Amino acid sequence: MAGNSKLRITGARVYDPANGINGEIKDICICDGKIVADIEGGRTINATGMVVFPGGVDVHTHVAGAALNFARGMLPEDHRQNDPFVRTRNLRCGISGATPTSFVTGYLYAGLGYTTVNEAAVPILTARHTHEELRDTPIVDKSTCVLMANNEILMELLEAGEYERGRDVVAWNIWAAKAYGVKAVNPGGVAGWKWGKDCKGLNEIVPGFNKITPRQIIAGLANIVDDLGLPHPVHLHCNNLGAPGNVSTTLEIMKILENNRAHLAHLQYHAYGGDDWFNMCSASAKIAEEFNKRKNLTTDAGAVLFGNTVTITADGPWQHLLYKLTGKKWGNIDVENETGCGVVPYVYKEKNIVNAVQWAVGLELLLLIDDPWRVFLTTDHPNGAAFWRYPEIIHLLMNADFRREQIAKLAPEAIGRILLPELNREYTLFEIAIITSAGPARSLGLPHKGNLGVGSDGDVTVFSHTDDVAKMFAYPRYVIKGGEIIIEEGEMRNTVEGKGILSKPFYDPKVEDFLRPQFQQFYTVSFDNYPVEIERIEHPDIRPCKGVQS
Amino acid sequence: MGGKVSCTLGEVKNRADLIVYWGGNPAECHPRHFTRYTLTQKGKFTPNGRKDRTMILVDIRETPSVKAADIFLQVKPTKDFEVITLLRAIIKGQSVDQAQVAETGLTLEQLQDFADRLKKARFGVFFFGMGLSMTRGKYMNSAALLTLAAELNAFTKFVAMPMRGHGNVTGGDVIMRYTTGYPFGVSLTRGYPRFNPGEFSTIDLLIRGDCDAALILGADPAATMPQPAIDHLASIPTIVLDPKVTHTSKIARVHFTTAATGISAPGTAYRMDEIPLPLKPILNSPYPTDEEVLKRIYRAVSKKPPLMPPVKINSPDKLTKSGQKAG
Repeated sequence: MAGNSKLRITGARVYDPANGINGEIKDICICDGKIVADIEGGRTINATGMVVFPGGVDVHTHVAGAALNFARGMLPEDHRQNDPFVRTRNLRCGISGATPTSFVTGYLYAGLGYTTVNEAAVPILTARHTHEELRDTPIVDKSTCVLMANNEILMELLEAGEYERGRDVVAWNIWAAKAYGVKAVNPGGVAGWKWGKDCKGLNEIVPGFNKITPRQIIAGLANIVDDLGLPHPVHLHCNNLGAPGNVSTTLEIMKILENNRAHLAHLQYHAYGGDDWFNMCSASAKIAEEFNKRKNLTTDAGAVLFGNTVTITADGPWQHLLYKLTGKKWGNIDVENETGCGVVPYVYKEKNIVNAVQWAVGLELLLLIDDPWRVFLTTDHPNGAAFWRYPEIIHLLMNADFRREQIAKLAPEAIGRILLPELNREYTLFEIAIITSAGPARSLGLPHKGNLGVGSDGDVTVFSHTDDVAKMFAYPRYVIKGGEIIIEEGEMRNTVEGKGILSKPFYDPKVEDFLRPQFQQFYTVSFDNYPVEIERIEHPDIRPCKGVQS
Repeated sequence: MGGKVSCTLGEVKNRADLIVYWGGNPAECHPRHFTRYTLTQKGKFTPNGRKDRTMILVDIRETPSVKAADIFLQVKPTKDFEVITLLRAIIKGQSVDQAQVAETGLTLEQLQDFADRLKKARFGVFFFGMGLSMTRGKYMNSAALLTLAAELNAFTKFVAMPMRGHGNVTGGDVIMRYTTGYPFGVSLTRGYPRFNPGEFSTIDLLIRGDCDAALILGADPAATMPQPAIDHLASIPTIVLDPKVTHTSKIARVHFTTAATGISAPGTAYRMDEIPLPLKPILNSPYPTDEEVLKRIYRAVSKKPPLMPPVKINSPDKLTKSGQKAG
């Protein structure tokens, strides 16, 4: 799949933050799918007056899997509202919207100049299905994070203090799911939801267990991920998502993770003050102040944009609450012994005070966290908004006047509860390149992504440089994936297959002797049918782990 | 209102203490359901197996499944929707009309007891079959039961699951969803997916005579569809891929004998809870797999000139615009 043609992009201003290149005019050369120092001959794209970024990297998105597919089936009315994708000679048909179909997902991401995505929540039991969908998601390279924080086998081991065996179980599960990293969603809370309960306090005992608490699960998993040396740190969706006053939980979790690497997902949903829906307010200042001090953490915004979308999360109890609040459709799938999932369609409205606060908090965090290498652009697609609306957020970040115009449209009661009107920071193109590409690639531990250094993947996006930022980022002029030109003069002329990015941490093979009887007892799938076969992964790219080896 | 509150079958095995089958006859149609997943298995929180569970069967007639049930509630035919609606009212403490209760074939005491059991269950589950989803009211019946399950979560943990059958129908549903956005009844005739059950669903297309060729895979419609639909299938070029002779293959213009998936061909099948299971062949077959036949047909068709000149519609400009409208 690597292009064997040579390609030179000349005359453009290059933004390659990982290599400290900030708008210099220089040539980018690609040979055999990789960036090289120079080439002889080959095709030249004259990009004079344009801007070159490394291909975008999305650290947290939900683009494939049983939960998303459940949502697709639940939302025929949403599909109808969107312009369809008509089949052409190179492109398959499908639909866009909050839950784009698999092929369209690839086209839409590439259409934004993104070339790598991390599907952030995969139950092991349905990982085979997730990979089927990812195989049919063209162009982009894909990694996945496997859900472990409510895995009952692991929780029992942590409860019994069997840390090392727990570590082996996690490593075995990562390889069984052909995943890349570990995701923790509402640790303990989803397990509690299996009895219709939640686990709100970090020191509460998880319903159905004797003594384990969310605090112990978080600490245990973070240690395991660090010990295994996974390229990406533990990917944590904190407890108490979306609840007014959850700032205290989030701050406490930052303390638990003091000595670990960690990525806090969609921080916007975890940065609220107040104590009920009537006095909920932004607590982004507190969160950002603490976060700025803690260099061991990275995060992504999980920003919200106004409009129609659907919320999909493994956080089952939260989704039940949202169903009761909105009275809309509610989908729920509990996955035996592992996790749960809820689906509720949602409309974010400017005149709704809570929604207005959420909108502001996402932007506030992006503006208040001072190190762009540690906060990334996401909407927790499709929860905050669909990923194809990222250019609208970039516009808000780069233009404080435009931001003020938007603030004026909010419910007036919201203004006293947010900080956004006071923030004057404007992102530069260099910083946008960090939060959309270089930063997430570094956090994911993918040295060959998100930069244009020699030896990196030939994933390059060329934008026309205009003052209309939203348009500039929505319609790249050229997108190159692995050296192949996908978008040319703003038109998608070619598609390629993406890679599956995996990691294979070390585990003691004897752990299977422990797992096999557990399976026979508690699962309904036979142990031998559980792991996903490597043959099902499209162009597997197994990344090294630096942790325990024996 | 609406949606679907569900779980994987292992959750039922490990936790469910109240199992309700509604409009189905699992003893004959899903004979392994009781023993593998719902009744006799000893799960994590149901260590005594059958003794830890109560099973209620709701149906319009006595079937062999009655023997497995602790409680059998016989409702009058076509009154399922009314029973569900009454239960929704009773659960919320609203008063119900005696005449309406009498119509259902059940007594108020039976309904009250049923409602109490639903609310008191630790983990309850509805499994509903075609007796509910394919009788008068059709999808309205399913929607009512799914809503009842969702509403019961205000009191306890409750889920619902359709009793899917007929081979890999769930797999077809899953793949249609991620490639077109819709589970069935999809038309691609305009070059993009459109969904309209009743217009684009198979029986309707056939009865109206809208299609002039048919490719049948993994199904035997001539055994189950209404006669006018079968008559149309027999009158057009129908191609069937099937390991064996079926009612449909007998009326088809072409029958490809293919290797049986799971016996002599590998593949994936989705269980009714949408868990994909790998199928591993144990025998060799002289016949090609479904996939091989389809690929060969596809290759041959690709060589033909296109019906219409390709229309250039999909500029990326269009791509993102389509999305922004939605926002």
